Amino acid sequence: MSTTIETTERERIAFAAVELARHPERPRALQVIAAITSGWTELRGDRLFGDDRAVVGGPARLGGRSVMVIGQEKGTDPMTRALHNFGMPHPEGYRKAVRLMRQAEKFSMPVLCLVDTPAAHAGIGAEERGQAWAIADALLCMLGLRTPTVSVVLSEGGSGGALALALADRVLALENAVYTVAPPETCAAILYRDAGQRARAAAALRPGVDTANRIGLVDELIPEPPPGAHAHAPLVIAAIRGAVIRHLDELRDIPIDELVAERRSRYRAAGG
Amino acid sequence: MDRADAVTSRRQAPRNRLQAPGPELRPTAPTTGTVACPRCKRRFVAERYAADLNVCSECGHHGVVGAAQRIEQLADPNTAETLAVEVGDRDPLGFDDGVPYPQRVARARERTGLHEAFLTARASLAGNPVMLACMDFEFLGGSLGSGAGEIFARACEMAVAERRALVAVCTSGGARMQEGIASLAQMARCSAGVAEVIDARLPYVTILGDPCFGGVTASFAVQSDVIIAEPGARIGFAGGRVIEQATHDKLPDGFQTAEFLLAHGMVDAVVERGRLRDAVGTLIRIYSGRA
Repeated sequence: MSTTIETTERERIAFAAVELARHPERPRALQVIAAITSGWTELRGDRLFGDDRAVVGGPARLGGRSVMVIGQEKGTDPMTRALHNFGMPHPEGYRKAVRLMRQAEKFSMPVLCLVDTPAAHAGIGAEERGQAWAIADALLCMLGLRTPTVSVVLSEGGSGGALALALADRVLALENAVYTVAPPETCAAILYRDAGQRARAAAALRPGVDTANRIGLVDELIPEPPPGAHAHAPLVIAAIRGAVIRHLDELRDIPIDELVAERRSRYRAAGG
Repeated sequence: MDRADAVTSRRQAPRNRLQAPGPELRPTAPTTGTVACPRCKRRFVAERYAADLNVCSECGHHGVVGAAQRIEQLADPNTAETLAVEVGDRDPLGFDDGVPYPQRVARARERTGLHEAFLTARASLAGNPVMLACMDFEFLGGSLGSGAGEIFARACEMAVAERRALVAVCTSGGARMQEGIASLAQMARCSAGVAEVIDARLPYVTILGDPCFGGVTASFAVQSDVIIAEPGARIGFAGGRVIEQATHDKLPDGFQTAEFLLAHGMVDAVVERGRLRDAVGTLIRIYSGRA
């Protein structure tokens, strides 16, 4: 009996952490971009099929340098959430991201990716247009990109849909963010054949970014003052800005061949 | 330590060509008695079904093939040399859903005779030197755990070191949920392996079998020069059932089948199992600039 109570308590705490990461008032990509960059000019479309609003991107100035900033945007109210498809990209989003990363490489601009997605979109159109192909291509692009890259996991890093924008030289994460192989609901459906057991899945999967840090997908956690980033957006955004600039400064001094080789061997070893 | 030190290989005796570390490999399908085609239910003598490469001679259904059997089907006779890559026991989350995860792995090892969901081999394929990396769906649904990812990445590195074309047979339900985020990281690890093969300008061909989903499709399965799908194979990112539940849309006929993906420009060819060796061999010969 006591075991059951303990288990239930553990599951409740684990899922509360997931809910905190999903808090609707946490800083979103467009909000961070507006606050930390100047002159950000949104570029749209993948030049192949359409424009995916779950991924936004374009060049900007940040801390005295030009940067390509790409973000997954979840939206902030019912209308913008629907517009941005709750941050769940279609293949066009990943193809747009790859287009912008190639452009950054051409102009020797570093890339900043703001990761915030529960998962890549699961739908008929996404499959018809090659969701898996688009993600696989983004992974290869990030592994070989000949310009420095920094990714920040803002709130939710879910599945390959997040990883596609997170194979950077430096990966930072807000302390209360989660980074998972799939949303706890999906994990529960696969593991227990019951999406309702999401709390149990959350407890088993250790979705906190400290786990991602331990296995080598995240380098640095950005602290959030209690109760979390939703209550201290300006402070947290300033911390993001400081950390990103510090890493971009460090990366600027590393010869590009060395940087790409280090990135490659780092992801070759990721996951233990 | 040099990675090659951790890899040992052995030449097989002709009578027992596919020898892996530990217990002897058992074929996935029974070789005695009879087996029924999963689609048309027609019964075959097991030996005949295996001789037909687990393809139903009545309805053409392509049945599941284990990794060891795959290597045997693709490699030229008596040329396959399986690589005994030991990846140890991995349990990054201490996962337990009633059965501790290491116990599930141990059972899968016992049942399939494989060490992990990937089995790799050096071989000659239609006369070409190749590195074969074959997934086994019977090993925890061919899921991509950190052990499987490590085996694939090493196969990439050995292909580069020995200047061999890489041929991967992919069949998987996707990530291995029991390893959580460490499983997700395998998409990065395997992609890093593929990147080495690309840089070395070696041909890389993938064969997608039924089923192939999730992080496997969204990484090394489609990062190849040529993507071949087996007839009727279901291939995609999210499974059809998940999509139906999430969107309440009615799935189109033949959704996510090999033929559907061919029509949508996602794969290069749909090739029957009996023609795979020739088709892949021809491609590699051409890419290698040989007559």
